[in-house]
Amino acid sequence: MKASAGSLESSDCLITITKSNKLEIVIESVVLKQFGDQIKEVILNTLKDNNIAKMHVVCLDKGALDYTIKSRLETAIKRMGESHE
Amino acid sequence: MSRSYLFIPGNTPSMIQNLDVFDSDVIIIDFEDSVTSYDKDSARTLIKNFLSKYSYDEVEIFVRINSYDSRYFHDDINALANLDISGYVLPKASVKGIRMLNKLSNKPIIPIVESPMALLLVEDIAKEKNVVALIFGAEDYTKELGIKRTLEATEILYARSIIAITANAYNIDAIDTPYTNKDDDKGLLLDATNALNLGFTSKASIHPNQIDIINQVFAPSLEEITEAKRIVKKSEETNKGAFSLDGKMIDLPIIEKAKKVLEKAKKYNL
Repeated sequence: MKASAGSLESSDCLITITKSNKLEIVIESVVLKQFGDQIKEVILNTLKDNNIAKMHVVCLDKGALDYTIKSRLETAIKRMGESHE
Repeated sequence: MSRSYLFIPGNTPSMIQNLDVFDSDVIIIDFEDSVTSYDKDSARTLIKNFLSKYSYDEVEIFVRINSYDSRYFHDDINALANLDISGYVLPKASVKGIRMLNKLSNKPIIPIVESPMALLLVEDIAKEKNVVALIFGAEDYTKELGIKRTLEATEILYARSIIAITANAYNIDAIDTPYTNKDDDKGLLLDATNALNLGFTSKASIHPNQIDIINQVFAPSLEEITEAKRIVKKSEETNKGAFSLDGKMIDLPIIEKAKKVLEKAKKYNL
């Protein structure tokens, strides 16, 4: 089961989540060196806020700020829930 | 009393996070036409998180929600509840839509008059609770009439006039329709000046490059400010309801108009 949200436009990110039996986070970013840890932290916190411990998350980042990463992941999570219902 | 209203797409972070650099007096974050059906949820979440994190003193933020008869209306309102926005822009203006919105929120409402029926009922729309301005939406209006828009804009003259007169009669802002040719500065200047001369107080825009011209047109000129200062000063000195200035009779409506000019000038640091 898969869901995604966002885009590959500047200042945005495309997040795709897939059901998994473990937590995996893949980040591709033009600013990975500088902000990779911060992006990962936003993803981990958002998953935690949504009580998700296991998920495969791919974030293709185009310079998104924290609020955008959080929003795209929240939308993907919601979409996955809706497709499951 | 704002000069410019800029629409920005509600699902585009690069525009949203720069909303205070466009110099528009009001930003209208759009949930309607610029957001696809697939991404309505995405836009709501984005704006909710954005406005929960950032706040702006220098610019007013309205949100154009989807129309009351769409399946997105309630979700839009719910997503915006408790956020620091100035109000809602309501497409497809109707009394029913405004009343429905008023049941869910007590915030200011700016309806978009964009159909022949809305034009016929524009006075009823202007009178509704929480309505603080009217926007003319010429694209949809001419589409419904099945007519083409022209540079001369004679086909929308009647609609513009009625909307401007109604808004002024009810002491609310009259916001003109966007000028859609974003690369034609001369055309924009002429179009905005025509709107000003019909009684519009401001103009909507869909491109940030248009804001400077719109702000110039809808701000009082230095000449108008100087004249207004003289009128108000003499009115205070003479303490009379009517007096003569440079051979012209000045009475209460002119004094009130001069005070409005000075209010605007003060607001925009002119």
